[in-house]
Amino acid sequence: MKPQLAMVIDSAKCMDCKGCMVACKVANEVPGGHFRNWIKVKEVAEPRPGRGRQGHFQPGACMHCDKPMCVDACPTGATFKDPKDGTVKIDRALCIGCGNCIPACPYGARYRHPVLKVADKCDYCPERRERGLLPACVDTCPTKARVFGDIADPDSEAARLLAANQGRIARVVRADSDTKPNMFYLADTAPADWPHKASITPPMLALTKWALPGVSALIGLAAAGVAAMAARRFLIERDGGGSGHGPGHGTEKEG
Amino acid sequence: MSDPMNSARQGFDPGRRNFLKAAGLLGAGAAASPRVLRALAPAEAQAASVRGEESSVFSACDMCFNRCGLIARVRGGRVTKLDPNPLFTKSRGMLCARGQAGVAQLYDSDRLKTPLLRQGARGEGKWKRISWDEAIALLSAKLEEIGKKYTRCGMLFSAGADMQSAFVNRFAEVYGSFNVTSHESLCLISGNRAFLDTFGEVPFADVLNSRYVIMAGANRFEALVTPDSMDMVEAMKGGAKLVVLDPRFTKTAAMADEWWPIRPGTDMAFMLALCNVIINEKLYDERWVAEKTFGLPELHEHVSAYTPEWAAQETGIPGPEIARIARELAAAAPASLVYPGRRTSDYENSTQIRRSFAIVNALLGNWDKPGGLLAARQVGVKPVPADAPWYDDNPETRVDAHLVPLMFEEEGSFVLTREAVITGEPYPVKGWFVYKTNPMQTAPDRTRTLEMVKAMEFVCVVDIQMSDTAWMADLVLPAPSYLERKDPCQALQGSSACACVVTREPAVPAMFESRPVFDVLKEVAGRLDLAEHFDFTIEEYRAKQLAALNGAADVLARDGVYYNPSKVYGIYDNMGYKTKSAKIELYNQRYITAGLDPLPVYAPPKSPPKEIADSAFRMVVGRSALVTQSSSTNNALLHELVPTNTLWMHPAAAARLGLKDGEMVRVKSPVGEGTQKLHVTAHIREDTVYTETGFGALSKGLSRINGNGLCIAAVLEGKYDSVTGNAAMHETFVSVTKAGGAA
Amino acid sequence: MKRFERHTRLDIAIHWGNAALWLLLMLTGLGLIKAEYNPLGGWYPALLRAMFGGGGGLLLAHEILGGLWILCLLLYLGQNPRGAAFFLRQVFAVDLARDVLWMVKKMVLMTLGPKPLKMIGLSTDLPPQGFYNMGQKAFAQAAVAGGFGLALTGLIMVWSQIGLGAESTWLVSWAILLHWIFAGLTFAGLLVHVYMAAVNPEERPGFRSMFTGWVPEDYAEHHHALWHAEVREQLPDERGIVPQRLGDRE
Repeated sequence: MKPQLAMVIDSAKCMDCKGCMVACKVANEVPGGHFRNWIKVKEVAEPRPGRGRQGHFQPGACMHCDKPMCVDACPTGATFKDPKDGTVKIDRALCIGCGNCIPACPYGARYRHPVLKVADKCDYCPERRERGLLPACVDTCPTKARVFGDIADPDSEAARLLAANQGRIARVVRADSDTKPNMFYLADTAPADWPHKASITPPMLALTKWALPGVSALIGLAAAGVAAMAARRFLIERDGGGSGHGPGHGTEKEG
Repeated sequence: MSDPMNSARQGFDPGRRNFLKAAGLLGAGAAASPRVLRALAPAEAQAASVRGEESSVFSACDMCFNRCGLIARVRGGRVTKLDPNPLFTKSRGMLCARGQAGVAQLYDSDRLKTPLLRQGARGEGKWKRISWDEAIALLSAKLEEIGKKYTRCGMLFSAGADMQSAFVNRFAEVYGSFNVTSHESLCLISGNRAFLDTFGEVPFADVLNSRYVIMAGANRFEALVTPDSMDMVEAMKGGAKLVVLDPRFTKTAAMADEWWPIRPGTDMAFMLALCNVIINEKLYDERWVAEKTFGLPELHEHVSAYTPEWAAQETGIPGPEIARIARELAAAAPASLVYPGRRTSDYENSTQIRRSFAIVNALLGNWDKPGGLLAARQVGVKPVPADAPWYDDNPETRVDAHLVPLMFEEEGSFVLTREAVITGEPYPVKGWFVYKTNPMQTAPDRTRTLEMVKAMEFVCVVDIQMSDTAWMADLVLPAPSYLERKDPCQALQGSSACACVVTREPAVPAMFESRPVFDVLKEVAGRLDLAEHFDFTIEEYRAKQLAALNGAADVLARDGVYYNPSKVYGIYDNMGYKTKSAKIELYNQRYITAGLDPLPVYAPPKSPPKEIADSAFRMVVGRSALVTQSSSTNNALLHELVPTNTLWMHPAAAARLGLKDGEMVRVKSPVGEGTQKLHVTAHIREDTVYTETGFGALSKGLSRINGNGLCIAAVLEGKYDSVTGNAAMHETFVSVTKAGGAA
Repeated sequence: MKRFERHTRLDIAIHWGNAALWLLLMLTGLGLIKAEYNPLGGWYPALLRAMFGGGGGLLLAHEILGGLWILCLLLYLGQNPRGAAFFLRQVFAVDLARDVLWMVKKMVLMTLGPKPLKMIGLSTDLPPQGFYNMGQKAFAQAAVAGGFGLALTGLIMVWSQIGLGAESTWLVSWAILLHWIFAGLTFAGLLVHVYMAAVNPEERPGFRSMFTGWVPEDYAEHHHALWHAEVREQLPDERGIVPQRLGDRE
């Protein structure tokens, strides 16, 4: 199994303190008005006296999907799934900030960095991991609701938690935009209805659907034309054209 | 349970341990560890930082009172990130949103930068920048002058919950003033009084090991207390049951197993009914109660009328449900508890309300046992007493003495002191030294606090930002934030998690012209001929504190926290209780001599005045996990998440008043008014409104919260607990109208 | 034999400068298209990106080259506005009947030979052409329009990285699509142009003129009869070359 960094989240432990959000903001210098992670709230609008568990808080962030639509939407490959650790990465140097990837994520995990002018999102804090630290949100979580690790490594806490909860693992997936997220929730997480339909922008759709084949066809046609001309000139008319004056020339001369 | 000493010794590398456990990336972790380890050595830290490499400095958070152990990551002379110290078990190795936002406090453009002297009228905001020499000279001269004119007790000293506040109290002591108030009489002293007068000390709740917890008047999943908040979640994962009584549907209520929107001010009725059921149905451990408690027969008789059916009328919680909860609670005993709570500055009879909480716990027999209420553990940090001089001309006692029967001498009562300052009785108090506390925002009835300030001849505020109190001062001195300070040691108990010591090393040098209050007081002491009482450095002070803890200083330097592996449970096994009867006092004999009810007598909460009954609501206040009153609301990172405070109102009430969600409303009480945005929600009772603390600042030095939202101090009446003098902040009825519309 | 000036030294310089930059832009640009959409497949972008130390380096190189190219064209326009105006006038002046017929016949003759024309009863004679023949015009038109489009969309993409806000990403998104299309169109034209001008032996004198600046009279007469008719009476200069003398044609 290929390495896959992932989060296994026991959302029942989350008390919506937002420690993860601020930790991430500081660790990654996320600009004002934007966040790389979130806590979704599902609360009963009219709670009933005597009832329990009438609210649930669900931490999340980029889910480093197996079928990331954001990667499909990127024209340059600045956004890509890194086979080395399974994370979806953004090459800031290659990203031109076209924004195509942003609506492509059903989880709204991406935003366009207003200063750097590139797409930005959770990257599981590689600078921290290099130093032997956990991602900022995981490290700071008061109840350790977020568990991080390589789920392909059976010795990781994340993999163990997954294994121990076989059959009761949930993923927040919208049926028409299933990107196979690598964010696993222990059963009964909520809310579940918040992802939006993943959409590819019209220009990107046009690029893949008809500009790509269309332009290729045109180039093919031009190439075929050149090939036909070359074939005619150098193969068929080789004998008659020794002087370097082909029939075209000749007819012109006549005209 | 793991041995904290052992884990502290193993945890030489704060970052690595936790990571390895979770990530399973052993290779990466092992490769990084020597570098992290090196970076932790204090001697190399500074040099590394200059080279642009990262260094790590241990400190303790100051964004609220919990003091979570942290590691400041410093690069290029700047604090780039604060990480929780994973060895710090009291916080369960966490930093909350406020803790993480500490960096924004350090680098806030709203920081006080130089000493400032008031120029115009109070609150006008005209300041003159002065030098520290001038500031120290002025402060010294004023202390001298007021001492001479009004006796030394003419100076009032108020220090917030800060690791250098002990120096302010020490200074007050050697200067010769009895008049010291802290934030505690605006917060927790009613609850402390109640439990102290029942068990002989203020307990910790062993939430982690409890199987059944009733939480009333506490919102632990928002108003975080370490380790209780995290431990409650952990206990619930293990099957513990949480029952929340709150007029508001808080996050704690949302996650609870049961939420009951209790009528505000009726918690005592609920608790007395629990006692009624537990005693009548003999659900308590008879032998234990007979052996350990005092006054069961009196209690039995006292609660006989307080049936669940009766309590249902008061609380709005059905009688059979109350009886069921009593039975469930008792069945889980002794690993069950009524959570004592922290902020008990809510009603005029808060001490007696909390006494009823304490008495239920006593009946559960949970004292000193796993899952129950815990006694204070030995930490071993020694106090550093001052040999204060005697001043013959001083009055006999505090200015607020004898007004309530059981005030805490060392904490006083801010509300009562305020009245004494305004009236000048029993004697004049004309000078005020304030350190990192903000009564203009936190004490109910701001108008009265303003009158108090106006009655003062000299007010000096030392703070990191221009708080509303600083805004009204004569002299404002800039203090460094916690990340720039070397602080004394502090002893902490984290319930059953630990008894520990933390301290602070500066992550970066003090910014601007800021100076620690210790330095300021030391210099002033020198000018007032009190130098001998401040003839030590912070290091020397720490050494005195740690004298009894061999090797603690080294452990602190290595781990950022020192644990004392002292006894957790059964501390009182061979010991009497620190009460008059040497037993747990269900019935308090001292209360009779103090003229108080020896058993809590229920009085229904007051109704709103008749003339405004139709549009009046009881106002309750509180906070989320992102707010520590006015000290955090101006923080740029937190402000983004909590940009203002809103008034919560039930949709039926809003419909009745013709008010719409999101519109600005005027909130008016007998003492003041303010405007804020209305939040229409069924998450609150129809007879109650709620707002968050810490907004509506007068100070223009708090750019994000100046004039933003409602200041609770502006509308809450200055009522107080009749036993302790603690503020009573849920006793105010407000009327709510459209802002700008006909009032 | 009389020699006729077809290109000034500046024209020659800009042509080859343009050609070189186009080549580099094409090579680097192709490397910026990710594997999934790359007509050459994954190896090409992988190779290019490795050569430039990553996609970011390649992108930067492409942008610098693009900037250089735009700068060169602007400099040329500033240096030789009359030449540029002449070029554009010549290129976009199309005599529908004559030029389209030339184009169709030429294309058939070059690829299929004279038979198809004869079969449908058309002569293999080509209508006379001016300074540029219709083939050259068509490519030049594509090059001008494509170049303008590429420059504009390229600038939008650069602007995206330095100035545009999130609300304007739709513009960038469309710019990517159009950049792609323009690049494809110009590349298709370029294929034909390179064959016709550089490979096809009949055009050798024309190809040579892109180095020397002049064509011999018989070539001018045969390939650009209308132009030849216009300039043949003019006197050569001291080098023996009849100058373009753009001013005279205005």
